[in-house]
Amino acid sequence: MSTSIMALFEYEEDVISAARQLRKSGFDELSVMSPIPLHEAEEAVGLEKSPVRRFSLAGAIIGAISGFALATFSALTFILPTGGRAVVAVPPFLIIAYEMTILLGVLFTLVGFFIVARLPAWRDAAYRVESNIDLFSLVVNVVADGDRKEAEKIFRDAGAKEVSEEDKRI
Amino acid sequence: MSDYVEPRYDEVNREILQTMQPSPQYWRLLGLSFAIAIVCFVGPWVYMMMVGIGPSGNNRNAVWSTYLANFIFWIGLSHSGTLLSAVLHITQSEWRKAIYRSAEAMTLFSLVTAALFIMVHVGRIWFVHWTVPIPNQMEMWPNFRSPLMFDVMAIATYLTASSIFIYMGSLPDFAAVRDASEGLRRKIYTIMCFGWRGTAKQWHTLHWAYTFFAVFIIPLAVSVHSIVSWDFALSIVPGMHQTIFAPYFVTGAIYSGTAGIVSVMYMLRKYMHLERYIRQIHVVNLGKLLIVLSLLWTYINILEVFTGWYSGTSFEYEQLKFKLFGFYAPLYWEMVTFCALVPLLIFFKRIRESWNMMFVISILVNIGMFTERFLIVATTQPRKFLPDAFGFYIPSIVEISIAIGSFAVFTTLFLIFVKVFPCVSIYEVKETLKPLRREVA
Repeated sequence: MSTSIMALFEYEEDVISAARQLRKSGFDELSVMSPIPLHEAEEAVGLEKSPVRRFSLAGAIIGAISGFALATFSALTFILPTGGRAVVAVPPFLIIAYEMTILLGVLFTLVGFFIVARLPAWRDAAYRVESNIDLFSLVVNVVADGDRKEAEKIFRDAGAKEVSEEDKRI
Repeated sequence: MSDYVEPRYDEVNREILQTMQPSPQYWRLLGLSFAIAIVCFVGPWVYMMMVGIGPSGNNRNAVWSTYLANFIFWIGLSHSGTLLSAVLHITQSEWRKAIYRSAEAMTLFSLVTAALFIMVHVGRIWFVHWTVPIPNQMEMWPNFRSPLMFDVMAIATYLTASSIFIYMGSLPDFAAVRDASEGLRRKIYTIMCFGWRGTAKQWHTLHWAYTFFAVFIIPLAVSVHSIVSWDFALSIVPGMHQTIFAPYFVTGAIYSGTAGIVSVMYMLRKYMHLERYIRQIHVVNLGKLLIVLSLLWTYINILEVFTGWYSGTSFEYEQLKFKLFGFYAPLYWEMVTFCALVPLLIFFKRIRESWNMMFVISILVNIGMFTERFLIVATTQPRKFLPDAFGFYIPSIVEISIAIGSFAVFTTLFLIFVKVFPCVSIYEVKETLKPLRREVA
């Protein structure tokens, strides 16, 4: 018993129209795989602004605060009096805050990327090597027999080069 | 080039992955550069660890030696790779796509080489962790008012961000390597690509994350070399204590970095047979960038001389006189020739369209830039204020050996990169080709 249907397409617009048609017909669990980023396909499967940006913002804010706090903490814990100058010196500490803003901004973005993209994904999933070379693939999870037939029809109507039943899910 | 035939998608995969199966010539070069790195870099460094920094040429007046000149040079070379890649990504420049991976690798390995020079410079590397703000039994914390601590933070951040930037951009290509491999190699690349399958969600998230990395990296790269310049400019030494130093260093860094990219691209194109990907448009665009940076660099250098001339203080004036007409004057004028005059040749179309000519110019520019960094160290500290603080500095054989060895360290790291990473971005090259659409077909 297959759990997903996969179709391979030669052309971008075919895979995009098939994805749109599938969503219109009520299929929610579908995935487009392509050798290059396809912005239209991202829209077709319902992706909008990525939440990664929130991780970046949070990282930058936490970085700025912690950078200044680190420099202040160091200065107050190990006091180095120099010619009556301020122990907590704002201008140089802002430079540390600036660097930490970027450091934590980058690290949080990285973490955000892995969480949002659901990586690492080492589990076995429906995948064809060709979709990382010169074809586009569209996979849809199906449960009922009727869904399978409908998905197959949509794929063939959109101009799929090959349609196959897979025992792995997306 | 009129005879250019655009590769097909599958040819891109095959031809670029082919570069990861190097020839016997590659292994010979790797062996040679590794041997030079050990003999010229590691050997003298270990010797210095054992006997102290005495064997280097620094002395009472010239307390900094060529280790710092090398450090600035390598940090400088690291600018352009990641910075250029990030700027061109934000501005959606198509021509970036074939060259950025190797340019970013250049950034990363230049930074590693630069960081090694800090270790060499400090002498007692077993205390280097004192610069890191971690709790310790001495209850001692670093002084964040010092530009040296700005340096630690900036370089650590730049190294982290550059590594992440190049790795994340390579994820889809690691998947391509995985798909084309078998056995252990396949397992390794499966882990390295984190199970990438190129789903719309993965591409979408990568695009967003990558753009944010680029946005973070641009101000970071500018800050890194500004901070390196403050190591000098925040002292009161004549010839160093100038407000122009930060833009001077940043411009110089991007300048030498761009020249470095031209050299590296020439080598890759020639020896990895990437003529179909690294094309004339790249050398022409890099040439245009180089000429702009050359003019900017020249302008800032003129300003630097005028600052000293108009300063009205004999200390600045004395230092300037020493630099322009003293013992090291031939090196100064060599620098002016290589960095300000030679690049003017790029104005000629025939020259900027010739890979060979541009390669020669890029090497000369970097010789000039190396000289510039050497002069910053060699002509300032030995000419401090009163004549009793005047001295003389000439690099010792140990320093010269370590400087030569550093090029071998960089070459070794870069050659390893070429074996492990696809040196041209497969998926981004595909984006520049004719799209796989019905109307195009």
